[in-house]
Amino acid sequence: MAGKTKFLVAGLLIVAAVAYLIVSSTGSTARYFLTIDELRAMGQDAAGRRVTISGAVLGDTIDYDPAQPSVTFTIVQVPGDPDEVERAGGLSKVLHDAVTNPTAARLEIVYQDVKPDLLQHESQAIIRGQLRDDGRFEADEVLLKCPTKYEEGVPDQVEAP
Amino acid sequence: MLADIGSLLTGLALAATVYAASAVLWSIYRSQSDDDDARRGPGRHSERGRQWWASGRNAVFVAAALLGLAVLVLLVAFLTDQFSIQYVAQHSSRNLSPYLKGSAVWGGQAGSLLLWAFLQALFAAFVAGGSGTENRPLAHWATVFLSLITVFFVAVTLFLSNPFALGETVPADGQGLNPLLRHPGMVFHPPAMYLGYVGLAVPFALSLAALITRRIEDWPGVARRWTLVAWLFLGLGLLLGMRWAYDVLGWGGYWGWDPVENAGLMPWLTATALLHALVMQDQRGRFRWWNMILTLLSFLLVLFGTFTTRSGLIQSVHAFARSPMGPYFLGAMGASLVGSLVLFYARRSLLRTPASSDDLLTREGMFTLTLILFLTITASVFVGSVLPTLSDVLLDQRFEAGPDWFDRVTGPQLAALVLLMGVCPLLGRTARALRKLGRRALPAVFVALIVPFVAALSGFTRPFSLVGLAIVGLAAGTALSEIAQGVAGRRRQGEGLATAFWSLFGHNRRRYGGYLVHLGVILLAVGVIGTRFYAFETEAVVTAGDSVQVEGYTLLFEGLDRVALADRTGTSASVAVYRGRTYLRTLNPTLEEYSSFGQTIATPAVLAALREDLYLVLAGWTGGGAQVTLKIFINPLASFLWLGGLVFLAGGAIAVWPSARGARLPVAEMRRRRQWSAAGLITGVALLALAVWAMWGATQGTGASSSPSGSLAPATSSAPAGRPAVGDPAPAFRASMLDASRLRLSDLRGPVAVINFWSPVYRPCKDELPALQAVWEEYQAQGVAFVGISVPHLADDANAMITDFGITYPNALDLATPAQYGITGVPETFLIDPDGNVAYVHIGPLTAQLLEEKLAAVLAQ
Repeated sequence: MAGKTKFLVAGLLIVAAVAYLIVSSTGSTARYFLTIDELRAMGQDAAGRRVTISGAVLGDTIDYDPAQPSVTFTIVQVPGDPDEVERAGGLSKVLHDAVTNPTAARLEIVYQDVKPDLLQHESQAIIRGQLRDDGRFEADEVLLKCPTKYEEGVPDQVEAP
Repeated sequence: MLADIGSLLTGLALAATVYAASAVLWSIYRSQSDDDDARRGPGRHSERGRQWWASGRNAVFVAAALLGLAVLVLLVAFLTDQFSIQYVAQHSSRNLSPYLKGSAVWGGQAGSLLLWAFLQALFAAFVAGGSGTENRPLAHWATVFLSLITVFFVAVTLFLSNPFALGETVPADGQGLNPLLRHPGMVFHPPAMYLGYVGLAVPFALSLAALITRRIEDWPGVARRWTLVAWLFLGLGLLLGMRWAYDVLGWGGYWGWDPVENAGLMPWLTATALLHALVMQDQRGRFRWWNMILTLLSFLLVLFGTFTTRSGLIQSVHAFARSPMGPYFLGAMGASLVGSLVLFYARRSLLRTPASSDDLLTREGMFTLTLILFLTITASVFVGSVLPTLSDVLLDQRFEAGPDWFDRVTGPQLAALVLLMGVCPLLGRTARALRKLGRRALPAVFVALIVPFVAALSGFTRPFSLVGLAIVGLAAGTALSEIAQGVAGRRRQGEGLATAFWSLFGHNRRRYGGYLVHLGVILLAVGVIGTRFYAFETEAVVTAGDSVQVEGYTLLFEGLDRVALADRTGTSASVAVYRGRTYLRTLNPTLEEYSSFGQTIATPAVLAALREDLYLVLAGWTGGGAQVTLKIFINPLASFLWLGGLVFLAGGAIAVWPSARGARLPVAEMRRRRQWSAAGLITGVALLALAVWAMWGATQGTGASSSPSGSLAPATSSAPAGRPAVGDPAPAFRASMLDASRLRLSDLRGPVAVINFWSPVYRPCKDELPALQAVWEEYQAQGVAFVGISVPHLADDANAMITDFGITYPNALDLATPAQYGITGVPETFLIDPDGNVAYVHIGPLTAQLLEEKLAAVLAQ
């Protein structure tokens, strides 16, 4: 085999292997990224699927039992598309509108873990987990983003998994 | 007032950079036409071009100085609480300590962009001022491009995100700095990252300059050190970020594959590849295309990272709020990409590499595969970061890549990369050298077998992790044997061992600094393997005075302390950590409630040792502090991450250190060059030292220090404590004294120590007290130490008893020590000899006569 061809074959093999890794990992470990409305629209299909869901936190519903530890709270539908958020007046406004809108879709979250630092009223929650049969959402991981105080103040990691 | 000055300075800097770019461009045009004139005869114009260049260069210096002043003005505004400036009001408050006010300068978007613009201008000034005669055309063009890049950043700062903008109202106090950023690591992490980012603009500018001036052979030599500096700072920034995440965020990890972390990692990966490829081109003239593409990619990824964190494209908790500057960054990326590609095409003949006999199994062949791997890893991280957007467009479904996804996709590729790191140096330049491979590879293969073997013996037995460790061992063996061979070669020339080391690293900094960097990466890899394969996490609810057993540790919760500070309330749990019977340390995981932010920050406490870190987080408490919830993480081999980081930085610093070679330059040139490199060097070393202090020195108090008892190595026995037999080492206790002090076994100095376990409510103990006091009075002068340790009871009872019987030796009320000594009842008495071993144990009440007898026997030894 000529030198060039060898390199081409070796390079292509690496690229193909990586492409396979990406595709197979996307199938097995990537999660659907959904809003509450989209989760509801999936109906029965959603049960047991690993998904990531986002919404606005309702402060009054936060119930923390440090002895377990376990925290439950309810989140409210917010649009997932950044452009839509922008059109509606920015993230802070969208979050505020969501928690004051009684007709927006809601979802109860159960998180068997320590209450995250940033879990508070009107913060944006990005939650990884799955929908249980009882209609509650069991969270494996909760990421939070604070809406008002210093939304541009954090140049780097705020809260990791 | 300050705001006006700041805006004015930034505005002037914008004008100066625009002028600089134009003047230098004009000077290039003039000297070219002068060259044409010169061919027709000696012209008077040749001075003109030089004058324009000098003027443009001065404008670059002025711009850097103006932006430096602007940063200073912002600093002064922070230090003097100028809350009329909106940015100051949003990121500072009166009660913040001065050093945090200083770091708040880059605590938000506007200030960090100003800093970025300043550093970019500074690097442009270094390139313009440090350019030698030999590469003048390169430096002139590079100055043009760097000035244009600076223009972009200054303009974005001034028009889209001006840190000096005034607020509508002047608040009485600022909103304060985000509590999470109040950490020494966060003081240095952003500037280190920005230094890396702006540094990567220099090779980009040089590569374009090389294409335009057709000096394709010259640019790798010039660009190499800039790339190295940028890459080193980027690496430092990433390490500081990891350390900060570990010390502050309290989730037990250091890398979460968050899009913003990835945005910093991707240019570092391409810069690493570039660094290697530049050396190859410099030495052998190969890899020209690779270098162009890697330089362009590194620069684009810097812009991309800035773009994603500010555009709202990526849903990340780390991202800045969506801001209007996204499209501008996209535009800058587009312009750089299209401009570069057009230039690549126009100069494609220059990029053709001289033909050579390619073979895969040579150093160069494997090296090509390494570069491909760097690109595929970068591409994987990129795909993962934008997967939601990508899958939305391609599949009309939004997928999201979590840490699992990244681990699965990049893990095998990173392992392959480390493998190549071990294999490449073993291969020869031609395929024929393969015959010698066996002998060369022997030491590396040996280490590759030893490492997993030792790991398996130490209890690390997962098959995949052992494969990983074998690969790591191979790479370590290669790097070590290369260094050893170099040293041996020098020793054969009659140098001593220390001299051989010194001169080896001194004379070939690039190569051996590089091997040291490899060793650093290898140590990091060990840390990654340990923490990814063997991390353990659990939660426990503990009542005060109770203990919990986790993985061989006994954690005794002693109590909760609350401290109210100006802007926050700190609640810290006191948790005494024992391994078997040995007291290690008391950890104080803390919850800090910031009332003004409505935010609670859990600050972890870490007991770090070589084998594993014990990482505690206070999750909450109930019953007024009688019960706490602890998150307990065991992170095996986590120390290797920071150890590897230090070795990595040391190796990088050696490689970057300017060498004394190239002495054939004119004297004036040499001196100027030395001045510039000395200035750069001093700045760099000072920054590095500060940063290293911030991470590994400043946090000593909270986590990284070794234990006072000095026995952090895994204890041989983690079995429940029984009563130590005569001749056994006495358990190293740490008792809470009745006067609220602490007493350790090591505090009991003297020829012999008497430890009496008692209870104030139990009759035989009371009967025994007068005898103990009598013996104490008699033997005190001989240095005999006495301590009474009461098993838990009301302190009042114990104190009453001590007063009643006139006891004068120290007494403790303690839970843990009786358990450590495995007592089965009270009273029990232990005699400890000067070596710290148990000399005598008595169960039940003692008489004065018996105690004196036993004391005398020990003293007589």
